[in-house]
Amino acid sequence: MATFILKRFLQLIPVLLGISILVFFLLHLIPGDPALTLLGQDATPEDLERLREIMGLNEPLYIQLLVFLQNLFQADLGMSIFQDTPVINLIAKHLPATLELALIALLIALIIAIPLGIVSAVKQFSWLDYCSMFFAQIGVSMPVFWMGLLLIIGFSVNLNILPSFGRGEPLFEAIGQTIQTGNFYYVMESLKHLILPAFTLGVMSAALITRMVRSAMLEVLKEDYIRTAEAKGVRGIIVIIKHAFRNALIPVVTIIGLQFGNLLGGAIVTETVFAWPGIGRLVITAISQRDFPVVQGCVLMIALIFALINLIVDILYAIINPKIQQV
Amino acid sequence: MRKKNGYSILLAFTLIFAVFLTGCSYEEPTNSSNGTSDSKTNESASKREEIKVGLDVDAGTMDPRLSKDTTATRVTELVYDGLVYLTANLEAEPALATEWDNSDPTGWIFTLREDVTFHDGEPFTAEDVKYTYDSLIDPDFQAPYASLFEPIESVEVVSEYQVKFNLKDPSAPLLNYMDIGIVPKHIGEKNDTTLSNAPIGTGAYKMVGWDKNSKISFEANEDYWNGAPTTKKLTYFIIPDNSTRVASLESGDIDLVHSPLSPQDIKRLKDNDQFVVEELEGLGFTYLNFNQKHPILADLKVRQAISHLVNKEVISADIYQGMDTPGTSPIIPASWAFDDSIAGFPYDTDRAAELFKEAGWEDTDGDSILDKDGEKLSIILSTHSEDPNRMQAVEYLQNEFTKYGVETEVQTSEWPTFSTALQEGNFDISLVGWLNLIDPDRSFYNPFHTNGGSNYGKYSNPAVDKLVEDGRTALDLEERKSIYQEAAKIVTEEVAYNVLLYQGYIVMHNKNLKGFDPHPRGSLYGLKNAEAIN
Repeated sequence: MATFILKRFLQLIPVLLGISILVFFLLHLIPGDPALTLLGQDATPEDLERLREIMGLNEPLYIQLLVFLQNLFQADLGMSIFQDTPVINLIAKHLPATLELALIALLIALIIAIPLGIVSAVKQFSWLDYCSMFFAQIGVSMPVFWMGLLLIIGFSVNLNILPSFGRGEPLFEAIGQTIQTGNFYYVMESLKHLILPAFTLGVMSAALITRMVRSAMLEVLKEDYIRTAEAKGVRGIIVIIKHAFRNALIPVVTIIGLQFGNLLGGAIVTETVFAWPGIGRLVITAISQRDFPVVQGCVLMIALIFALINLIVDILYAIINPKIQQV
Repeated sequence: MRKKNGYSILLAFTLIFAVFLTGCSYEEPTNSSNGTSDSKTNESASKREEIKVGLDVDAGTMDPRLSKDTTATRVTELVYDGLVYLTANLEAEPALATEWDNSDPTGWIFTLREDVTFHDGEPFTAEDVKYTYDSLIDPDFQAPYASLFEPIESVEVVSEYQVKFNLKDPSAPLLNYMDIGIVPKHIGEKNDTTLSNAPIGTGAYKMVGWDKNSKISFEANEDYWNGAPTTKKLTYFIIPDNSTRVASLESGDIDLVHSPLSPQDIKRLKDNDQFVVEELEGLGFTYLNFNQKHPILADLKVRQAISHLVNKEVISADIYQGMDTPGTSPIIPASWAFDDSIAGFPYDTDRAAELFKEAGWEDTDGDSILDKDGEKLSIILSTHSEDPNRMQAVEYLQNEFTKYGVETEVQTSEWPTFSTALQEGNFDISLVGWLNLIDPDRSFYNPFHTNGGSNYGKYSNPAVDKLVEDGRTALDLEERKSIYQEAAKIVTEEVAYNVLLYQGYIVMHNKNLKGFDPHPRGSLYGLKNAEAIN
C-alpha cells in the first residue's frame, strides 16, 4: 500500500508542473493589461509603460515563465498586484471557506442521494422511484444562481429565519467554542450561514449521485450472489446494504470524488450569489483584474486539491476492492 | 460477539453525547459580533449600535493615494480627511484646511487645523500634507490619479500648520481634487504595507477589521475634530450579486444599498413602504465613442447619421427603467456648467437616411445594407460584459442600425480586454462611460484634447484643444462655464462622443435608518450623522 501511495504522489509532480505552465501561457495569451487595470482610464501612456517595466511585463515571455517557475520551486507564489499581499496569505484566507462549503455540500448531497438512490433501485418503477428521478432531473437542470436566489427569497426575505449572505464563524472554530463553553449558539450561527449556500451547491451533486447509486444498485441487484443470499434467507435490508450496496460502491466513490472536485470549482457561482468569501471569488476577481500571480496561485492550489482527491479515491478503491492494489 | 461489541460502543457514544448535550445551552454571548444576525436578536433596543451597508466589490488597496476602486474610496473618505471637503453641490468646503489663499494663482497657501490627531494619536501637521502630495506627484509612486495633480510643481512647508503649493500654471479644477485623504508621514515613510491594509487617518471612523471579500469594519473616532459620529459601529459587507444585495436589505440583514442596482429591484422596493428609495443625478454619463480614424466613421456625415438612429428615450425607459436619463452633451446636469440648449441628435431616421445619401452611401445592390464604391457600410459596436444594461443597449442598437442599412456586428468582452482595445484605439464604435466627473475638466481635457491620455477615438480639433486648455487655467467660474459650453457644442456637433445617458445614482435604505444624506458622488460620509432604529 505504501509503495502504491508513494508512486501516486510522485506522479503528481509532472501533473502540477504541466498545469502551472499551461495556466501561465493561457493567462498571458488572453488580451488585457494589468498595468492598465491598475492605473485606470486616467493613466497616461508614459505611466503605463513605466509600470509595465516595474512589473516585469516588458520582459520576454520565457523570462517571465522562468522567474515564475524559479519562485514556485522556492514555494513562493509571489505578491498580488492589486492587493499588496502575498498570494499564499490570500489563498490561506479564502481556501478554508471554500473547503468548508464544499464539504458540507457534499455531506448534504450524500445524505440525500444514497438513501434516495437505494430506494429507487430497490423499488424500481414505483412512485418513490419516479419521485426521486423527478428530483434528480430538477436538481441537474436548475441553474445554481436561480435556485440560490429562490432560497434567499424564501428563507431570508419571507420566513426571515436564515441569513441571506456571508459566512459566520468558521465551522471548526465554532465547534471548538461550543465544546469549550457548552453553548450551542456558536455552532448554530455558523450552520445558519452555511445551510443555504451548501444546499444550493449540493443539490446538483445530490441529483447526479442519486442517479449513479440507482443505476449501480440496479446492476448489482441482478447478480446471482444476491439471489443466493436471498435464497439463504438473509434479511432483505442486510442483502441491500451488505451484499448489494457495498458492491455498487466503486462507481459511486468515483463520482463522489469527481463531484467534490466539481464542488470546489463550481462553488464560484454559489460564492457570488451568497457573498461567500471563498477561493472562487478570489480567482474571479483576480481574472477580471489580470492579477496574474493570484490566478496562477489559486489554479495551482485547486489543481493540487483535485489531484489529492483523486489519490484518495484511488486509495479508497484499494480498500473497497483489494484486487486494485495489485494492478 | 462482534455484533454485541458494536452495539455497546454505539450505546456508549450515545450516552456520552447525551451527557454532553445536557450540559449545553443555547444563548447569545453578550459581546458577540459575529455574522449578520444581530439585527434579528437585539429587537428590544431602540437605537442600534451598528449600521450595516451592502457594497458590490471589495477594495484593492486602502491607501487613498493609490486606490481607484469605488469601495476603497468609500473607506478612505471615512478614515481620512482631505484638505477640503466636496459638498453635494460639488463646492469645496474647509476640512483639514481651515482656509486657503489663492490670490497668487500659482502659489496657493493653505492654513491647517491645529486640533487634529491621527487615529494612532500622532498630531497632524503640514509635514503630512507635503508628504502626501509629494508622493502623489512622484512618477515612481505610480498614483492612478497622478494626472489630476500634474499642475503641482512643488509643495513647501511654511510653518507647522501652513503649507504652500507652487503650481506650474494656474489651475481651476485642482481645488476640487484636494479632497484626497492626507496620510500620516510617520507611517507612510516606513514603506511597508500598513497603509494598504490597515489605514490610519484623521477621519470620522477608524477601520478596525478587513475580512477580504467579506466585510470591512469601522469604529467611531470619538475625538473626531468635526464631532463624533452618531453611531458607534459601521460595517461594509461585500455582496457582489445585485439581487442578493437587495434581498439582504429586504430581509433586514443590512440597512442600506446603493448603485449599481437592477432596475427591477428598484421598482419593487419603491412599492414597499418599509424602504426609502432616493434617486439623485449621478456624476457620470454613458456614451458612444466614435473612432475618428476608422475609414468609414472618419466622415462626419456618417457619424451624424448614425447618431440620428439612436433612440435614447427607448434605451432610458426600457433598458434602464428610467434609472438613467437621456443625455445630450458631455456636461452632466449636476454640473454648474450644464447647458440644456445643446440638443444633440434626436431620433430621426429620415434625417439619417438623408445624411447617409449626402455622404454617398446608398443601397445599390438591394441587400438592405448601404454601400459606396462596392464597399458595405459595416461597423463593429463594442462594450464590456460586466454591465448587463450596456450589453442590452448594444444589442438594441445593432437591431436599429441594421434596420436602417448599417451592417452592425456586436462585440462584448470583459473589461480588461475591452479597455486594452480602447486604449489601443482598436474599435469602431464603443459604448462606455465616465464616472466621478466632479469638474468638467475631467470629461473634456483627457477625452478630447489632441494629446489627452484617454482620447481613445483620436479626436482632434485645434479650437477644442485651445478651449480645454483655457478651461484649466481660467479661474473665473462664469468664464469657465462659457468655455466648456462652447467645447461641448463643438464635440457634440462633430460627434466625438454621442452621449446616450446621464447616469442616475440610487440609494435604498430601510426606513428605520435616519439622518443619512446621500451624496451624488456615492460618498457614504453622510453615515457619520445617521442612526438605525429598531
